[in-house]
Amino acid sequence: MLESLAEFAIQGIVLGGLYALFAVGLTLIFGVLDVINVAHGEFFAIGGYLAFAAIVVLHWPGAAGVAGAAVGTFLLGLGVYPLLLAPLKRRLGARPRGPLYLVLTLGLSTFLQSSLLAAAGGDYLRVPPYAGGVLDLSFTAVSHQRLLVLVVSIVLLGGLFLFLRFHREGLAVRAVAQNPDAAQAMGINLPRVFALTLALGVGLAGAGGALMAPLFNVYPTVGFPLTIKAFAITILGGMGNLAGALVASFLISLAEAFSVMLIPSEWQNAIAFAVMIVMLLLRPSGLLGGGGRR
Amino acid sequence: MLEVGELRSGYGRLEILQGVTLQVAPGTIVGVIGPNGAGKSTLLKTVFGYLSPFGGRITLEDQSLIGLRPDQILRLGTGFVAQAGGLFADMTVHENLLLGGYALRSSREARAAVDELYARFPLFAARRRQPAGSLSGGEQRILAVARALAVRPRLLLLDEPSAALAPRFIADVYDTIRALNGGGIAMLIVEQNVEAILAVAHRVFVLDLGRNAFDGTPAELRASDRIRRLYLGEDEG
Repeated sequence: MLESLAEFAIQGIVLGGLYALFAVGLTLIFGVLDVINVAHGEFFAIGGYLAFAAIVVLHWPGAAGVAGAAVGTFLLGLGVYPLLLAPLKRRLGARPRGPLYLVLTLGLSTFLQSSLLAAAGGDYLRVPPYAGGVLDLSFTAVSHQRLLVLVVSIVLLGGLFLFLRFHREGLAVRAVAQNPDAAQAMGINLPRVFALTLALGVGLAGAGGALMAPLFNVYPTVGFPLTIKAFAITILGGMGNLAGALVASFLISLAEAFSVMLIPSEWQNAIAFAVMIVMLLLRPSGLLGGGGRR
Repeated sequence: MLEVGELRSGYGRLEILQGVTLQVAPGTIVGVIGPNGAGKSTLLKTVFGYLSPFGGRITLEDQSLIGLRPDQILRLGTGFVAQAGGLFADMTVHENLLLGGYALRSSREARAAVDELYARFPLFAARRRQPAGSLSGGEQRILAVARALAVRPRLLLLDEPSAALAPRFIADVYDTIRALNGGGIAMLIVEQNVEAILAVAHRVFVLDLGRNAFDGTPAELRASDRIRRLYLGEDEG
């Protein structure tokens, strides 16, 4: 019994690293831009495809392939604000805009899925593991590939938190999240910060897609279920609250892992949404409260 | 240094300013007063680029500010202090001051500017790690003014610096304003607290329903029975 608990805990923690990478990026974008990026999962898929192209097609080493995929997704993300969101914002002016941005990113999601399907076909693509072997913990074994996902996720998230805490541009991102008007009075260029934030957020998703490529197959809709789950994580943690998203990612992943002991596995995916619905009914501001703009 | 001519501005299709004209000369304090809804805050927000004017002119040392974003106007030497201070309440005092120096060329310059501010406002050096939102109302307002100084502006726009402050804090804020003006910084101050602004301003503009209703020195304003009666709420005689 104890061994099973430990095994599920390890599974949950590893999965939590991936959820955190994904949900923290989504939360960052929401907190700064006030936009729910429905296309987040497609950048996860793009990360997987870029990793496949770099490692399988171009025979790059695994680390270079993952780094290249993350950078490539980041660069693609840099274009999303100036090409899509900013023109809509200019047209709308001060009118309420949230639902329109939601529909816009939903359209982007569908467009990117179709583009991936057209460019790469619908086949499941496989990327070889970046790290072979398993870590034997006597009561259970964890593949090095899964550990790698966890370690790299922690490093990337740690880097993001350090950037936001200490770097001049990170301070600017936090300032815009709190009060965009006051941030402008500091000389902060809002369109630049919006573009950077979107790129950082989807870059993390792309890194996640590249890291998980050997574990999930790569296909156009691989990221969409993650997007939906990340909404539940974001609501659980508090909309726009990065620390909340981090905590909620591990809570959900652990809940999913342990739920297998209590309920049929078919219900596993419903756990996150059950938690989300309960949270919305009992505490709509989430575990740690909303962290977006006041 | 700042010239505003026949300025028309507002929100959406609602025209609040209907042809306002004013000037701020280098090194002077100009006060703008008037009843609620007169367009005082709209004036400052338009000058600083938050609102796009419907028409008219805004020039800073002969350069037009129309069409520029607030961050671009700041880089031309104009600081802005919002009505409630516009502090980042969850960030520390130090982070707020560092953000004040964001427009400087490098992080090193920003840190040097913050060190200068600590020397000028020692209170904040002692509280550098404290969240800005935990300071008293008066301290927050002075921190907001101090933060705007990091980029060494030649002109400061202040939106109701005394709003919602207890009288002793208002005196502190205006002491700071007077000291900064003594250092040569010009100021355009929108204010509801008429006595506070008349005590420091070199020139006063009264706005009413988005138009100029008076332009003169504080002494001239006090001498005008009509203005005192209409805008200062004083009885005749």
